[in-house]
Amino acid sequence: MNRDSGPLDRIGGPVVVFGVVGLLVGAALVPYAWGASTGPDGTVAVVEVHGTINGDTAAAAMADLREARQNDSIQAVVLDVNSRGGLASVSEQLYLSVKQTSEDMPVMVAVTGSALSGGYYTSAPADSIYVTPASTVGSVGVRAVVPPRGAPDNQITTGPDKTTTATQAEARRRVEALRRAFVGSVVAERNTSLSASELSYAKVYSGSRGTELGLADEVGGLDAAISAAADEAGLSDYETVRMESPTASPLSQIGLNASGDATVDVDTTQYFMLHGQLDVSDSAAQIEVTVNGTN
Amino acid sequence: MARTDLLKGIGVFAVVVVVIVAATVATGTLLSNPSTDGSVDAPAYDDQLLPTAVDDDGSVGAPDGDGTKTVVIDKSHGNALSESEMQPFVDALVRDGHDVRFYTGGTGGSGGFSGGLSSGSSGLNATLRSADAFVVANPASSYTTGEINGLDAFAEAGGRVLLLADPVDPSTGGQSVSIPNPLGTSTGSTVTPGQPTNLAANFGVSFGAGYLFDMTDNANNFQRLYAQPSGDSSLTEGVDRIVLDDATPLATSSEGTAVVESQDAQLSSTRRGGTYTVAAQTGNVVTIGDTNFLEPASATVADNEAFLTNLAEFLVNGDKEPGAPEAAGPSAGTGTGGFGGPTQPGTTPTVPSNGTSFPTGNGTSP
Repeated sequence: MNRDSGPLDRIGGPVVVFGVVGLLVGAALVPYAWGASTGPDGTVAVVEVHGTINGDTAAAAMADLREARQNDSIQAVVLDVNSRGGLASVSEQLYLSVKQTSEDMPVMVAVTGSALSGGYYTSAPADSIYVTPASTVGSVGVRAVVPPRGAPDNQITTGPDKTTTATQAEARRRVEALRRAFVGSVVAERNTSLSASELSYAKVYSGSRGTELGLADEVGGLDAAISAAADEAGLSDYETVRMESPTASPLSQIGLNASGDATVDVDTTQYFMLHGQLDVSDSAAQIEVTVNGTN
Repeated sequence: MARTDLLKGIGVFAVVVVVIVAATVATGTLLSNPSTDGSVDAPAYDDQLLPTAVDDDGSVGAPDGDGTKTVVIDKSHGNALSESEMQPFVDALVRDGHDVRFYTGGTGGSGGFSGGLSSGSSGLNATLRSADAFVVANPASSYTTGEINGLDAFAEAGGRVLLLADPVDPSTGGQSVSIPNPLGTSTGSTVTPGQPTNLAANFGVSFGAGYLFDMTDNANNFQRLYAQPSGDSSLTEGVDRIVLDDATPLATSSEGTAVVESQDAQLSSTRRGGTYTVAAQTGNVVTIGDTNFLEPASATVADNEAFLTNLAEFLVNGDKEPGAPEAAGPSAGTGTGGFGGPTQPGTTPTVPSNGTSFPTGNGTSP
């Protein structure tokens, strides 16, 4: 019978063989087990909303937020907001995007400078807004350049409003409609003591005053917002991922527009949710955003 | 024998592959998160967003005047209100057969440098002698004592005076500056608009500092506020409410009466709410703290057209004694000075007989 013993018996029997194989397999799994026990439970994504809100900055922020919603490891979002607003249409898109994200997971805002006008519109649907005494919030309002009257001499247009976009009364109504949407959204999102018409003054409030009025919630920095977001998501152990907004070109930082960006070059009346200076050149309604355009 | 084993092996392989793929699909389907619902509810984006347009119909009617009156509109003090900006008003007067003249004070109508040249009173007073009504809107330079005295006598004699002014930009402080337009393209509207402060004060009216606004009940913008008649006045006949844009409040002496007031408005400089007078009448003088309602785009909004018709009627229904204000001093006997006839627009005006330092006027009739 001994002659019939198999190869397993010749190297020490099945127990030894399976023991060695088990050791090897177990060793191979060690890093995963170690990672599972000591690694982060999830990720808090820090999404930058910096600079003037235009098509580019908003597209990047909205893509980041979409990524946060779809990536299972990201369980909370902190918006690092330092913006004085920008185009009205894009600000509304950002508002909707943040609102959708906040329905999926905790979203906190840390105002690292100013969250004004469109920047505040973006911040409004967050669960909590963190400010510092010197940071600013508010400027809830809309502005537009008065439509020029008459068509320029050097153009042929097919209708009286092709270049002017609308009559002044129509433009005024449009601004009023945008104001209602903006103010109504802030009133709906924030538990503020200000009435809609008080908000419509479009004042800029300091962080401390904003907290008092309910336009912001807590005094604290970015790290406080991150840890609050993690707490809210039930993460005791987490990592943070920073998603940066596209950097503006050096020329635009000094107030020039070198890229011929369609959002500011088109010769039409634009509607802004923007705090700060709005320069209008003499020719029709060409608009450039200058001064602290990227803060 | 070998063939059977091979087929068996292939069969097992196929079954294993199918099982693995099926198990993967089943697990994936069970474990994968469904895509989140893309719709997000924005509570404020409802059908209440679109504001209602303020009714804009009708037209400024021709005033009911007796006879042909001469209405003189001052352009000699760098008045920042162009002919086109008051066109509906002028049209209504012209349609009823009245003479409307723009008194330029002899500076060729450019509107520049007028402050210095019109320092004398005789040119204006000579013009007033042949006029029945006088309109002052947004002057950039102040009126001299002689001019004020002349206008005082003019109103005393039954001449109708209409004073209009917008709020003064705080940065300019209401200074009497007159800026020539280097490009020469516009009709003089580049001058800094001001308020006829000293002239109005003479009639017991004072223009306020800052503009009026209403954050809640407005014509689709906080600066476009509604104003209602105050008491019974022929000026507000048929007027329910008018729309003013960027208006300034008025304070009147006890002789003056408020004609139009805005309720629950706030003043930008004090932020105090209350009822503010925006149009007042003192005898033959009507003062209004707004000019925008004269513009073609605003003249027919709400009841503005009825108010404008009444204003035109007020101007042409005066009963002025001929020859007032009487000439004084060196301007004696220059009763025709200052204006060309309405049928000769832009012609050389009559020069005062002793014409030395007197400004001359260009008569234009639209």
